[in-house]
Amino acid sequence: MATLTKAAVPSQEEARPRFAFLRNERVLYGLLGFVVLLGAWEAASRLGLIKTSLMSSPSRVVEIAIDAFGSGEIWPHMWISFQEWLFGFAISLAIGIPIGLALGWFRKAEALFGMLIPAFYSTPKVALAPLVILVAGIGFEAKVVTVVLLTVMAVMVNTMMGVMAVDKRHYDIARSFGASRWLTFRAVALPTAIPFILTGIRIGMGRALVGVVVAEFLSSTMGIGFYITFSGAVADTTRVMLGILILGIFGVIVGELIRRVDKRFDAWRPGIH
Amino acid sequence: MTDQQLALSARDVRMEYRNLTTRERFVAIETFSLDINEGEFVSIVGPSGCGKSTFLKIVNGLLDATAGEIKVRQTKAGRQDAMVFQDSALFPWYKVVDNVAFGLVCAGVARREAEQRALPLIKLVGLGGFEASYPYQLSGGMQQRANLARALTVDPALLLMDEPFAALDAQTREIMQVELLRIWNADKKTVLFVTHQIDEAIFLSDRVIVMSARPGKILADIKIDLQRPRNINVKRTPEFQKYEEQVWELISSQLQSAAGQFGGS
Repeated sequence: MATLTKAAVPSQEEARPRFAFLRNERVLYGLLGFVVLLGAWEAASRLGLIKTSLMSSPSRVVEIAIDAFGSGEIWPHMWISFQEWLFGFAISLAIGIPIGLALGWFRKAEALFGMLIPAFYSTPKVALAPLVILVAGIGFEAKVVTVVLLTVMAVMVNTMMGVMAVDKRHYDIARSFGASRWLTFRAVALPTAIPFILTGIRIGMGRALVGVVVAEFLSSTMGIGFYITFSGAVADTTRVMLGILILGIFGVIVGELIRRVDKRFDAWRPGIH
Repeated sequence: MTDQQLALSARDVRMEYRNLTTRERFVAIETFSLDINEGEFVSIVGPSGCGKSTFLKIVNGLLDATAGEIKVRQTKAGRQDAMVFQDSALFPWYKVVDNVAFGLVCAGVARREAEQRALPLIKLVGLGGFEASYPYQLSGGMQQRANLARALTVDPALLLMDEPFAALDAQTREIMQVELLRIWNADKKTVLFVTHQIDEAIFLSDRVIVMSARPGKILADIKIDLQRPRNINVKRTPEFQKYEEQVWELISSQLQSAAGQFGGS
């Protein structure tokens, strides 16, 4: 009996272990997966299964990373890419969400522009790059425009789908009680759309990162995309890998932040938390 | 019977639908006339597809009748009518209290005040303590209690109920029938209740309207002379069973004629 009670109510020491975050299965397995992957990469390069000159190895990347962060060579690149990403992503949300809501809500708007959406959605936006350079030049603005072009549709279409996914019965309830159009939008359409909007944001986040790299590949003298192409051009594969890793880690961090926001809207959805 | 005493008066209501692909018209309801007195509990039963839910939606204003006239008595306070919907009719993103308060919010009542006014109704339907629960945390019976409370908060002159217990299991359904009568006893609202369950209609009602198969017409208007307040044991009495037989015979004749129509298939 005594042991049972102890197990049910952990003592103070047990409640605060040194590595509390490892208790979280998600974090634990996430880290484990990362370590396994790195270990395999290191082993493969040490055993000569892959050419270190082409694929580098984790230990070399760490070595170079310490150097790159220590000397400060990487910081300006990260900072400029981050700004391009942030501006492009924020503008995409500011444009994509309201327009998506409007397209989903107003049938006439959807009828007018609905046909254009798949056309624009399926066009490889990279194909617009020459146009972007002509219109916006090759500076910071051009990068932001490219990011927006790559991101905005995912946000917009998901938002629109969200509003269109409203259960007809829920509209009936609002109408039955005489809800105004505005109240129906707030009480029915928006709550239905929010999970979709969050999905759009999650997809858009990644698209924006692609946009940053694409824009910098095309023309730039700064940024992580530039860092990767430049290092590639001088056959410095370790720095290429470092750039890719930075992008990946950034994606994970932002993804995790979005997941946190997500949770705040999830209280009413069973089985998600 | 003077006009003032009528809570609802429907004259020659007709409802036609047009199938959008075949462009064929079909008649869902034909020359449907019905008067309901104030304070009366009236049920409509009929084979599925007879248009009984359609009639309810017309009264509620969710559908427009093709022809005919419907008058619902307007009271000074509260809404003209309010609907208790079939299952899953709560907003899943709202807590019970917000769901119940929704009707008042629609009427322009400030959210805070609407929530305050919803609380006693939540208690009345037996959901006290679940104000902050989300619908997915409630059983089907509890969800329908909230659904009922939402309609009651707007203090309607006429309460419309569209097969509200159809999705519940048999035992919960019986409990809810008894509960509905208890709640109804509190202020004897006029109720128009649609169901396909014969015993449910008889147990609850002062009058049972039996509808024909499509196009829906009134086959019979049966006054239920069972003493109130009623408890569930009344279902075991010979009087009750006589009513059941009477209604069942009317409906089964309809089912046979419907079966005849589709006999070839």
